Amino acid sequence: MEARIRRLPLTVAALLFAAGASAQGDDVLGDIISPDLERREIREAQIDSENIEFTTFGGVINVEDFGSNSLYGGALAYHINEDVFMEAAYGETELGESSFERLSGSAPLLTDEQRELSYYNLSLGWNLFPGEYFIFDDFALNSSLYLIGGVGNTSFADEEHFTYNFGVGARVLANDWLALRLDFRDHVFEHEIFGEVQRTNNLSAQLGVSFFF
Amino acid sequence: MFSFRSCIYSFCALVLLLVSSGTAALSPEPPENLPEDAELITVGSPYVNIYTGPGRGYPIFHVAEYGEKLWLLKRRTDWVKVYAHRDKSGWVRIVDLQEVYGEDGELVRVPLPDFSDVDSQHFHLGFSYGDFAGASSMGATLGYRFTANLSAELRATQAVGDFSDSQTYQVAVLHQPFPRWKLSPYFMLGTGINITTPNATIVATEDRRDTAMLTGLGVKTYLSRRFALRAEYANHYLLTSREENQEIVEWKLGFDVYL
Repeated sequence: MEARIRRLPLTVAALLFAAGASAQGDDVLGDIISPDLERREIREAQIDSENIEFTTFGGVINVEDFGSNSLYGGALAYHINEDVFMEAAYGETELGESSFERLSGSAPLLTDEQRELSYYNLSLGWNLFPGEYFIFDDFALNSSLYLIGGVGNTSFADEEHFTYNFGVGARVLANDWLALRLDFRDHVFEHEIFGEVQRTNNLSAQLGVSFFF
Repeated sequence: MFSFRSCIYSFCALVLLLVSSGTAALSPEPPENLPEDAELITVGSPYVNIYTGPGRGYPIFHVAEYGEKLWLLKRRTDWVKVYAHRDKSGWVRIVDLQEVYGEDGELVRVPLPDFSDVDSQHFHLGFSYGDFAGASSMGATLGYRFTANLSAELRATQAVGDFSDSQTYQVAVLHQPFPRWKLSPYFMLGTGINITTPNATIVATEDRRDTAMLTGLGVKTYLSRRFALRAEYANHYLLTSREENQEIVEWKLGFDVYL
């Protein structure tokens, strides 16, 4: 009981002090705990992007019934991420004589102008196996094996042919901006030059040099 | 006695100064052929892996530690080429460069473009494949997003059919009412020209060039940060010089890439 009475003035004093402190204003507390932090400065790095790849290629294309002929062209690719790239390509070749023309000995089916075949396509590529090719024990080149496919248009004999293409390729990088590419593609389209509609599979193999910029 | 002690102090200070200048000299010398726009940064995270190539399939051959200085050289997709001391250069993931500091101690960010950042203005490029009134079609689009809801597009399509081939070139405005939805619908209005070439083997007619009005609706969905799939239905209304105008229905499936 005595102890409780002795404690009373203490409690009152504590309460008064607390009230006084809060009445004294928030500015004292504010001064103590106000954030004195400098705002963090953030800047974007000004570095160059090199996502575009330009390729020139040459190779062989076999157009069904018209023999194997040399192929040359170019492609422009945009690398979306490390796995996927989109590519627009253009190629040209000149068709040979068809077996029908050679065997029958009749007048040629197509004029020289009609034998000029050109194609373009829009494709999506997938870098399936990125890795390194070891040439010597301690010398390796970055590379990737990719699958690619898309749609396009093949133009010859005064006709347009809607074309699906798909294939596989390998890209070996000599350095950051120079690469060697080897591509195998199947170009599938229908034509009716021999009278009836015929679906053709036309294989091409091409070797290219590409530059990243 | 007093002077001897002060002598020792000054000697120690000298040694410290020499040591500190010695460590300063250890920081990497810039390589000779460093491009002018290379940026010097300091690693602020515990470590950063350096790969031999810009992809997860290439091996890690070096690690840059906390406080190490690196030069950022260039970027490819989501990777940055860096130059580190001892003549090491390789590729670093951009996500690993979230905590790097510039020469004045400021935080440096390498931007990672993202479709989900709908308020940013950006270009997008797309390829598509579809059905143009029975003919197979392929197309390319180049778009620009002005606001979260509004974008403009340049569109080119070629369709190859049994009876005729068509080429269309259009300008369109797209409105996305709910740009933050995972499956975001859009409405499209546009205009352009439509060039129709009847197949020569069937009938010998001339090419037709008509003005076309375009309306359409579609849906976009984002597969990854920079890659979106889209499906679209479009109605081409050709204002022909013949008795009747012509209507063409087109279905399309394609993808868009954030540039």
